[in-house]
Amino acid sequence: MNEEQVWLEQARKGDKAAFGQLIEAYQGPVFNLAYRMLNNAGEAEEAAQEAFIRAYTRLETYNPAHKFSTWMLSITSNYCIDLIRKRRALLLSIDEPLPPHPALHSDNAKGPEAQLMLSEQQETVQALLQELPEDYRQAVVLRYWYDLSYDEIADVMDTSVSAIKSRLFRARRQLADVSAGFGLNAQPETVSVAA
Amino acid sequence: MEHEEYTLMMMDALDGELAAEQRQLLESHLRACPPCEREWQALTAIDALFRQTPMLAPAADFAQRTLARLPNRRYRAWLIGAIYAVLLFSGVLPLLFGTWAVRRYGAVINEPGVLRSLLQSLAHTLEVIGTVVSALFGAMGQFISENPIIFGWLFVMVGFVVVWSGVYRQLLGIPNLSPARSVSR
Repeated sequence: MNEEQVWLEQARKGDKAAFGQLIEAYQGPVFNLAYRMLNNAGEAEEAAQEAFIRAYTRLETYNPAHKFSTWMLSITSNYCIDLIRKRRALLLSIDEPLPPHPALHSDNAKGPEAQLMLSEQQETVQALLQELPEDYRQAVVLRYWYDLSYDEIADVMDTSVSAIKSRLFRARRQLADVSAGFGLNAQPETVSVAA
Repeated sequence: MEHEEYTLMMMDALDGELAAEQRQLLESHLRACPPCEREWQALTAIDALFRQTPMLAPAADFAQRTLARLPNRRYRAWLIGAIYAVLLFSGVLPLLFGTWAVRRYGAVINEPGVLRSLLQSLAHTLEVIGTVVSALFGAMGQFISENPIIFGWLFVMVGFVVVWSGVYRQLLGIPNLSPARSVSR
């Protein structure tokens, strides 16, 4: 039994400190996923905390045949998607014109303490991700920052491998289409497809 | 070969899954086709940018603050146990009471006079309910037959409900909203 399994076993019995070790271990990946999805530091922290609380209260439903990290990412990304959809439904139901995507998740909506100082590169990445519908964004983030295989992404997103392939295909094309607007139209002299 | 097929090959190349033979095919196409070459450059620029961008970290005290918000699992287990106990007793208690009542009053209920009056009273109650319901439906039928336009309104209302339920399902993404989905694996 490895360290993680010991923590899980103790957490199941109600040992909060053991679950604290799991939070320490996975806070980075969980927060990163929430921030990439929501594009707001305050909301991302709230979503990451909520994901850990959900995981803790539903530990008995965790199947040890799957990786704990995959389970955590699944809870986080599904929670973020639900949040984005509810937020959109709320905006539409109060009969206001839909603001452009970045404004939906603007950091300015929260106080200065909720903002995160981002490098220019991180800003560009966030702006590009906001160009995508949430399910495409989810697939892209899981592919690039978590290095998950198509099978694993399909597992996290509870869908088929072919659906994931199709979403990544469309997401990459969509990103390529808008890349020139972000100053990403690099033109190397030679054409090489080397992996 | 269509451009779309070359785009598919580009995706495989980005995932490092393009065979050497196909890679050569794609390279020679890119040299001859400026639009595909531009798309390939854009795709690789995005790919490189995302691969080089590090993960973002939460605030330093994130773990402590999250830990402080965790509910008490032992208390929760106790609460769920208590709810189960209440549910169990809500089934068992009427059973016990019923058994006791039959044992205590069984002899009285079995008297032919008592049983007959009980059945008569039940029959009278049903008769009253029947009269009220038939009067209601009768009045409704009469109203509809005198105002056939009500059918038109009914169709309009049903159409309204169907259209708006469709709109809301789209907005809320209802097929994907099941909260159990996120933890059922």
